[in-house]
Order: sequence, then C-alpha cells, then structure tokens
Amino acid sequence: MEELRRYAKELLVSGEVAAVIGYMQVSETRTKPVIIIDPTDTSLLVLNEYCLNNLTVYLTRARIKALAREKDKVKKLAVVVKPCDERSIVALIQENQIRRDELVIISFNCHGVVRDFGCSFVPDTLAAKCSVCTSAAPQYSDKIFGEVKEIPGTDDKQLMKIDETGNKSAAERFEFFSKEFDKCIKCYACRAVCPLCYCQRCITDKTIPRWIESSSHSRGNFSWNIVRAFHLSGRCTGCGECDRACPMDIPLSLINRKMAQASKDLFGYESGKSLEKATLVGSFDKKDSDEIFM
Amino acid sequence: MEEKIITKSNLLMICKDLIDRGHVVLAPGVTEYKAVRDVSEINLDPSALPTKASYKNFVFPKTEPVLYYKRSKSDVSLIDVNVDMKDTVILGAKPCDANSTEIMKDLFNWDYQDEFYNARAGHFIVIGMMCTSFDEYCFCTSVGSSPCSESGSDIFLIPLDEKTFAVRILTDKGKDFISPYSSCLEVGNPARSEEAAKRVEYPEKAFDCKAVHEWLGRNFENRKWDNIGNVCLSCAQCAFVCPVCHCFDIVDEDYSYSEGRRMKNWDGCQFGHFTLHASGHNPRDIQSKRYRQRVNHKFRYYVDRFGKILCTGCGRCSRGCPVSIDIKEIVANCKD
Repeated sequence: MEELRRYAKELLVSGEVAAVIGYMQVSETRTKPVIIIDPTDTSLLVLNEYCLNNLTVYLTRARIKALAREKDKVKKLAVVVKPCDERSIVALIQENQIRRDELVIISFNCHGVVRDFGCSFVPDTLAAKCSVCTSAAPQYSDKIFGEVKEIPGTDDKQLMKIDETGNKSAAERFEFFSKEFDKCIKCYACRAVCPLCYCQRCITDKTIPRWIESSSHSRGNFSWNIVRAFHLSGRCTGCGECDRACPMDIPLSLINRKMAQASKDLFGYESGKSLEKATLVGSFDKKDSDEIFM
Repeated sequence: MEEKIITKSNLLMICKDLIDRGHVVLAPGVTEYKAVRDVSEINLDPSALPTKASYKNFVFPKTEPVLYYKRSKSDVSLIDVNVDMKDTVILGAKPCDANSTEIMKDLFNWDYQDEFYNARAGHFIVIGMMCTSFDEYCFCTSVGSSPCSESGSDIFLIPLDEKTFAVRILTDKGKDFISPYSSCLEVGNPARSEEAAKRVEYPEKAFDCKAVHEWLGRNFENRKWDNIGNVCLSCAQCAFVCPVCHCFDIVDEDYSYSEGRRMKNWDGCQFGHFTLHASGHNPRDIQSKRYRQRVNHKFRYYVDRFGKILCTGCGRCSRGCPVSIDIKEIVANCKD
C-alpha cells in the first residue's frame, strides 16, 4: 500500500499526471472512488478485496478529461485498476475513446474481490465474475503492485444460471426476463457505471424521435434493457458493475455474459483482451460465422 | 392514543383476513416492499435495515397514465383516468418510511391537488414498527426523526419479545381499521413498551439541520460542490430509492396517429438532461451544480417552502450509491 501511495505521489509531484483516480477506504468492508489532485491526498489510496468499482468509467467523462488539459499541453491521467478493469481500458483504446500515451495504468495482482460492500472476504462472498476470472494478471499496466495470490475457487453460480436460463424454452425465458425487467425503475445506474456506455447522448435520452419509451412499464423496460444488451454485445468486458449498481437487483450480467459467450463461441472474440486485435464490431472476416443472421 | 398488545400469530391472522378480503398488504422484503400473497412471506424483523427501495412506488408510481387521448383530423378528445386503488396496509413500515407520505403530501397539494397522489395516499393504512438497529448510513436522528418515531403511522408496533407487540393506535384511521379486530387485542401495558423503546440505540446525530440550512444559504458557490461533482456518475439511483424524492416528467406515448396516452414518470435531478431547455441552454450543465441542487432542495428549499426537511434519514441513497457518495457525510460537511 505504501508503495502505491509513494508512486502515486511521485506521479503528481513530478507533474506527469494531472490526477490519480483510485480507491479510498470508507469502512472495513467498503471503499469508494477518489479523484486525487493534491499529492498529499495520496495517503488515502488503498488496494484490497473491497475495491469493487471499475474506475475506468471516469476516463471518458468530460470533466475528468478536462482536469488533464492545461493551456497548451495535455497531462496524463493515472488510474488504479483491477486486472479485469484493465480490459475496459483496452476496449476504450480500441474504440478510440482514450489514448494509451495519455494514461498511467496502475494495477495489482488480484486474487478476487467481494460480491458486494459489507461482505467480508471469504470464498463464499467472492464476486461471481472472480470465480471464472481469466485475467487475474495485469497485461498492459505501467506499474503492478502486490504478490501473486490464488483466487479462492467457488462454483460459478451465475454461469450455471446462464446455462439454466439458456436451456429454458423461449416462452419461459420471456417470462423470466419480463419479471426481472418489471422491477426496473430506469434510474440508469447500469448505464452510469458502465465504462463502455460512454455515449455523450444515450439513445434513451433522445426525444425527437423517441426511440426508447422513458416510462418504466414492461415495454419501456424491455426496450431499454435489450437495447443496452445489443449495444454491449461483443464489447462488454464483464466487469459486472451494472449488476452491482442495480438497486432493484436485476441480474443484468446474465444478459451481458450470455452475449459475451456468444461472441466468443461464434467469432472467438473476447472484448478487452488484446490491444492488437480490431474490435469485433469494427472488423470483418469472410470466414466469420453467419449463423446469427436472420 | 390507545395502547394494546397483540401476538404475532394474531397479527398475521389479521393480515390473512385482509388479503382474503381483497386488500393489499405490503411488507418489507430485501429489495423492496412487496404485496404479500401468503402471510408466511411476512418477516417482521425490527433489526432489518431499510429495504433497498422505499414504498414510494405504491403512492407515486414509477410510471402511470394520467390521461388517454384520441385524435382525429379536426378534433382531440381526452379520456380521464380514475385511480382504482385498493385499501393498502403497509405492515412494519420503518419510521424512516412511515413519515414519507406526509412529507410529500405538501408538494402534491401545493398549487395543484394531485388527485392521483391523494387517491393513493388516502387508501394507505400505515402500520409502523420501531426499528432496533442502524448502520453507518442511517441518520434519522439528524433530520428530526428517530427509530421510535410514530410520525406518519396510523398504528405503531413495538416489539416486546419474539412473539408479542405493543400496538399504539394513533389516528382515527388506525382506530377504524383495528376496531373489527378488537378481539385479537389484549390490554396494553405502556410501561412495558416504554421500557422496550428505552432500550433502543439511536444513531448519533451527524448534523444540525438549522445550521445546514443557514450554511447552504451562504454557500451556493463553494469548492466543496466541485469535488462531489467529479465523483458522482449522474444516475438517479439516489432519487429513485428515496422515499421522498418526487420529481416527475410528463411524456406522451402515441400508440398510433389516432390514439395515445400521457404518462407521468419518475425523473431525477442528477440526470444531465433534467434541466436541459429546448433552446439548448442547461442551467445545471455540470454534475457539481446538480448535486448542489439535490442537497439544497432537501435541506433548504423544501424547508423554506413547506417547513419540512425533504429527507427521512433512511440512508438508502448512500447505501446504494454505485460510487459510495454518503449524503450524511456531505451534509455534515456543510459547515465552514
């Protein structure tokens, strides 16, 4: 932890970065994002099993980008990421939303995080995404802290749930999702926490014409949640933030992970895994599967 | 005020009778207050934290039609909506939920009597229950309430032991409601319920509302707002789980050229387009201004207008905030 704080402080003092986006502890089992501009505040920084937020969501925010812009030069932004959040950075760079040379990526060897704030770190409270994690070691980070430790293994209940949901008949699936989406209150917390939901003007905010009904009745909720799933297909890196943020406990990552599974099975593409590859939506190969075309 | 004693099994029997007679019984679950289908679903736990969402949806629904319209080449005809609300009993409402309808009532009857809100609220019987635990996000004591506050309840339950409750009958509505069930009630013992109430621990008072009100008046421009604005992600989780946030948007939904309906939907002041004008101008164009509005509305504007604080101290907004913004901490920091 001290190393991290020292490193972050150096970055700020030397003027290399304009701000460090990191985590600070608020209680024993909860952290929160902190955007540090003053080097003395780096003493707040922590890295542990309670660092749930995917901080890369801040990288595309206009007001955060503005912090890095001075009169005639652009400073870098430093961001603390879990290795899985690093995938969001890869996807954002691929989609030309941020530039690698304007970033300092600080990461650590992760051994899993808790599924929600308030839980102590024991195998039973491991986040669903961690039990199937394939990105525990950072790939593109400038600085890596912490020792390599094993992720405590558990069953992936969510993955089982995807299979279970997938095996249902279309009518049963429709009923399942109708019930879940009925709970939606359209607070758009799912959109707000998603690093890849960076549109300056979301389709659901457009009113002339209105594509997505803003009412949170069944039809409006279906349109919103399905449009979001479409827009994240082949792009979602599975950080699970939408799941965590949903105040109504809608299992949103059931949908997003299903889409991620499909893009892997059909095109062998995993979002955010490689900076060298072109994006799934932005590339075409004659050998691509045409199974999905209706 | 009258005080009686009821056993848990008798209380559940009353609920069963209510459900059988077609009333709606709402009880707190984990995520939200839910309409109970079978009394076995009822879990009256005074030490449970507030549900993630309040029961606001039942008095001020997240979406509802306010009129239907038909349109021809030369004419538009309007069809009114009548609210068909069943009698709704809220069983085991937290003190920080029970007073919410009273707080919002002023707004919904300010310059226009909102018939939809009034019709629903008029059908409510609120059976509040003393609250015996709190977490780091609770601050009811800071906004003039407490875990034992009876404000807003028609009937108030005080758990005496695992199986019995003291029943305080507070309003005429409560009296009318409970009188058919008088055989289920035993003679009360106020000394015993007072004793139980005394044992309850209160969250520490985090701020003084008067001082906050005064500070907000002097600090419309303050660097403190900028810092919050950087972290907040502009969703409406806080507003939508709040028991007293009441902003709404009116939108027309066309089914076809010739017919459609006008909807009243929840809206949230943290959304960027909440105050976006048709001209393109946005008076609250950045997040810091929007968060400032949230705090000012709750602790200054509403107080000035209606003499009430627009906050029950339930802590839902902070507990559920995706980026852990704690309103208690922010308001406590509203000082020089």
